Amino acid sequence: MTPDLAPILIAAADHGNSAAVEQAPSAAEPWLMLSVQVGVGLLVLSILLCLWRMIRGPHLADRVLAGDTMAMLVAGLVIVLAIKLDSALFYDAAIVVSVLGFASTVAFAQYIGARQKASDDPLTAELENQPGLIATPDELERRAGK
Amino acid sequence: MTQLVLDIAAIACLALGLFFMLVGAVGVVRLPDVYHRLHAASKCSTLGLLGLVLAAMLHVGTLTVITKSIAVIAFAFVAVPVGSHMLAKAAHRDKARPWKGTLSDELADCEDEGACNVS
Repeated sequence: MTPDLAPILIAAADHGNSAAVEQAPSAAEPWLMLSVQVGVGLLVLSILLCLWRMIRGPHLADRVLAGDTMAMLVAGLVIVLAIKLDSALFYDAAIVVSVLGFASTVAFAQYIGARQKASDDPLTAELENQPGLIATPDELERRAGK
Repeated sequence: MTQLVLDIAAIACLALGLFFMLVGAVGVVRLPDVYHRLHAASKCSTLGLLGLVLAAMLHVGTLTVITKSIAVIAFAFVAVPVGSHMLAKAAHRDKARPWKGTLSDELADCEDEGACNVS
C-alpha cells in the first residue's frame, strides 16, 4: 500500500459510522424514539408470554417452539436497540441470536422425532396432551374409521 | 426533509413489526394445540422481524446496516419456516394429538412416513 492511499482507506472504512452522526435529527425523531420505547415494552411482554408457554407446556414441542419464538423476539429487541442507539454493531448480535435459535430448534426437533419410546408410554402421552381442547384417542380412532 | 420521510416510514415499519410480534406471542399462548401454535409462531416472528429490520434499515441507512439487514432477512426467511416444519414433523412423529376440531390428518395412517405420498 502506498502511503498516500492510507487516509482515503481509513475514511472509507469509517464512512459507515460518520454518516449517521452528520445528519441532523428530523422532526419525527422524538416520535421514533417514543415508538422505540413502546416497542421495547411490547417485545418484553411478548417474551413473557412465550415464557409462560414454555413453563406451561404441555407437549415438549410446545416448549421448543416457545424457545424458538423467544429467540426471534430477542433478535427483534436487539434490532430495536440498534435503532435507538443508531449503531450497526448490534446487528451481529441479532444474527448470532437467530442462528442459535434455528440450531437449537433443529436439534430439539431431531430429539423429539427420535424419542418414540416416551410417547408410546401412556402416562407421558397423557401428561403432554392438554385435556379438553385436544382430541382423545377415541376421537382419533373414530375419525380414522370414518 | 428526506430524513423526515424516512423516519416516518421507519415508524410505520416498526409498528407493523411490533404488531406481528405481539400477535405471534398471543397466538403461542392462546391457540389450542402444537400445530396451531407453530403456525402462529413461525409466520408472525418472520414478518415481525422483517418489519423491525426494515425500520432499522430506514432509520440508520448506512451501507453496513443495509447489508447486514439483508443478511438477517434472508436468513430469517429461510431458517424459520424450515425449523418449524421440522418441529411439526417431529411432533407428529411423537404422536402429539391434534385439536379436537381438526378435520383431517393425512399422515395418520402411515407408520413409515417415507412410504406416504404426502410432502
